[in-house]
Amino acid sequence: MDFSLNEEQRHWQAEARRFAEEEIRPVSLRQDQMPDPFETWNWDIIEKGSKLGFRTLAVPKEWGGPGADFVTQAIVMAELARGDSAISKAFSQNWKWSHLIARSCTKEQKERFLKPFLADDRYLMGRGITEPNAGSDNRLPPPDAPKAGFRLKAQRDGDEWILNGEKCFIANGSVGSLFFVDARTNPEVNVRQGGTLFMVPKGTPGFRVGKVFNKRGWRFYQNAELIFENCRIPHANVVGEVNGGTRASAGDTTGGDIFGDLELAANAVGVCDDAIEMAMTFARTHKRAGRAVIDHQIVQLKLNEMHALTEALRSYVMRVAWERDQGGAIGANAGLAMNLSTDIIQKVTRLNMDIHGAEGCMMNARVDKLVRDAMVWTHLAGDTVQRVKILKRLQGTHKTPSAGAH
Amino acid sequence: MFDLRLSAEQLEFRDTVRDFVKNEVKPAALHPSRLEPFEKPLLGELLDYASRMGLRTLSLSEAAGGAGADTLTSCIVLEELAAGDVDIAMSIALTQGLARALFESGASDAQRSALLPAFMDDHRYHLALAANAAHADRGWHYHREYSDDAPPAATAARQANGDWLLNGSFAFVANAPIAKLLIVQAKDDAGGTCITVLVPAGTPGLEATDATAAFGGETAGGRTLARWHHGAGGAVRLTNCRVPAANVLSADGAAAFSDAAYAMRADAHVAAVNLGLGRAAYEAAVDYAKIRVQGGRPIVQHQSIGGILADIAIKLELARNAIWKAAWAADNPEAAAEGASVALPLHTIARTYTAEAMHEATLGAAECFGAMGVMRDMPLQKYVHDAFVFLNGCGHDSATKLEVAEALAGYEREYV
Repeated sequence: MDFSLNEEQRHWQAEARRFAEEEIRPVSLRQDQMPDPFETWNWDIIEKGSKLGFRTLAVPKEWGGPGADFVTQAIVMAELARGDSAISKAFSQNWKWSHLIARSCTKEQKERFLKPFLADDRYLMGRGITEPNAGSDNRLPPPDAPKAGFRLKAQRDGDEWILNGEKCFIANGSVGSLFFVDARTNPEVNVRQGGTLFMVPKGTPGFRVGKVFNKRGWRFYQNAELIFENCRIPHANVVGEVNGGTRASAGDTTGGDIFGDLELAANAVGVCDDAIEMAMTFARTHKRAGRAVIDHQIVQLKLNEMHALTEALRSYVMRVAWERDQGGAIGANAGLAMNLSTDIIQKVTRLNMDIHGAEGCMMNARVDKLVRDAMVWTHLAGDTVQRVKILKRLQGTHKTPSAGAH
Repeated sequence: MFDLRLSAEQLEFRDTVRDFVKNEVKPAALHPSRLEPFEKPLLGELLDYASRMGLRTLSLSEAAGGAGADTLTSCIVLEELAAGDVDIAMSIALTQGLARALFESGASDAQRSALLPAFMDDHRYHLALAANAAHADRGWHYHREYSDDAPPAATAARQANGDWLLNGSFAFVANAPIAKLLIVQAKDDAGGTCITVLVPAGTPGLEATDATAAFGGETAGGRTLARWHHGAGGAVRLTNCRVPAANVLSADGAAAFSDAAYAMRADAHVAAVNLGLGRAAYEAAVDYAKIRVQGGRPIVQHQSIGGILADIAIKLELARNAIWKAAWAADNPEAAAEGASVALPLHTIARTYTAEAMHEATLGAAECFGAMGVMRDMPLQKYVHDAFVFLNGCGHDSATKLEVAEALAGYEREYV
């Protein structure tokens, strides 16, 4: 076994750590505290990070990207998340769809979409699966139930498709330039047999952004409504085959669903690292009842637990990333790591809050922010549906569609 | 004898407040325009309404004009009120608890006569206690005397003409911005003893700020702070604040705000408010689980959601049992002496268990809502936040439970 990082991995780690410390952390709380959910975004930090390669990190080298391996991706996500979990996600969200393009798009589609993505520091991507009445239904559709899953409708008209319907909670929705949109092309059968994946660029007539959701955590990272009203999309924008949307995006061996799981687990490691750093600093520099906080046994036990859980998660995340780089069969480890990361990030950020305690009628705002950010893991990574879904993967009896709009 | 039946009067109180919460409080407190902003000013009109219903004077004796509610009845009422709005409930909890201590035992006849009529007549007359902070780190002094390194928050100096001159500041006093009378504990400069002084709002030299801003500025250590309390509150500063000797409570009267009985009632009240918060999250989750269809059936019919809701229901029941038992013990102090109650601080047990259990309950309830659980225009994220404040705030933290350990070890402080 070899746990060492190679030179390239260490380079990206150092770059990400420096960027997080010098650029992300100073703006993190300010963006988080913007009351208007439209205002939490900051293009400046995206452009700076893009110029350093963090937006396009996963684009293969043959297409002009850095082509970083999964171990590097995991390390960079964690390092960026140490500065701000939501900003880290705003970058890595693009990697997910870089993986999808690299695996599932035609050469012509890659020319049309991957090249502008590489060229424009503000070009971001997202995917629309979730709808107001299809959230868990997308993750774990009841077998063969035509009414379950997304309902956004696509009808063929010559060389075009006409999209009608609505998506919600779509990541990068308000800021993205290209969206992968799941639509029903055959409503008579279940979602796996009758769903097709379309690429919809920003500005397409009939496609507009609705509201930006006002979230408790991850406030920088914008989730929005996408509204389709007779939106015409050329057939050339179909990813994979018609009625093959699930196959186009799931079960791939390079990323997609599996990357999404690794992504949340790796991001959680960075938040836990941040919490530990805060807790250790506080415990060493503050007193309770006349003694250094760190000299109280109840605090020592909490710090021990924070370190143990975080290191265990880090080990699991790195193993999953390493396994992906070896290109072996896809197991359940990425999903299990994601589920586990929910428990660990929430426990570790809460312990950090316990150690800090209230300061009179106030709480350290960053301590609270970490707790609020950690809460988004519940529905993204660790609700009961996500856990049952991973068991299906373990059972090997169920090929699941993508994990939803992370 | 073990009887958990509520009296007709208690049931009537409960149902009246429940209707008030459903019809008046929730529509205002849970409106998206209230939920979304970071700022959370007190819903003053509803607080007044609650007073007109008699909740502000709930635990005053009938002779004094109140409802004569015991601690258990107060807890039942506060749970109901908190299910609507935790801030209103905390303000009411404090005023009605302090009113009982002041007018039933703390004040002299002359002080009561001077103050009670105005308190009864004015629905905006609230009370606040600016307490000496010796016990603020409760639990952290485990098996040690309280340390003297923290100077008292306020001092009192006797003047030649008999007046007292108060100086000092309190970083946070609950109810301070809405209080028309502050009960201030200060250290006598000369004798070194603690005296308790009644300071009416508006007294020259008394300044109470309103800590409603969602975010404070940076501290000296470079930390940004976020508001972290329930109900009204703010800093209190006393600068050469002159009060007549007639406003000083007797030694026995002062004990009404520092004795074990007061702490037992106050903890039970806060735990009841905390419980009401958890119940609001639970009821929202149950309602939603019945109508949200995923996988072809309402999610309440999925084992996974059923398991979460059952866990929450169990926690609510256990917390309520702990609170009611603590309230009963506060109302029946002789029970401990007779051996009918365990020699443990039941109020601390209730407070700590409820804080932990409602924290978990609100997270579970939010999970039932999926992504809607984190949206600021929905109440679930607020319930989760509010439960965190009870867990690490409002006089509770992870060391509080060590009071229980001190009690079971038989440890007693020389100076309390």
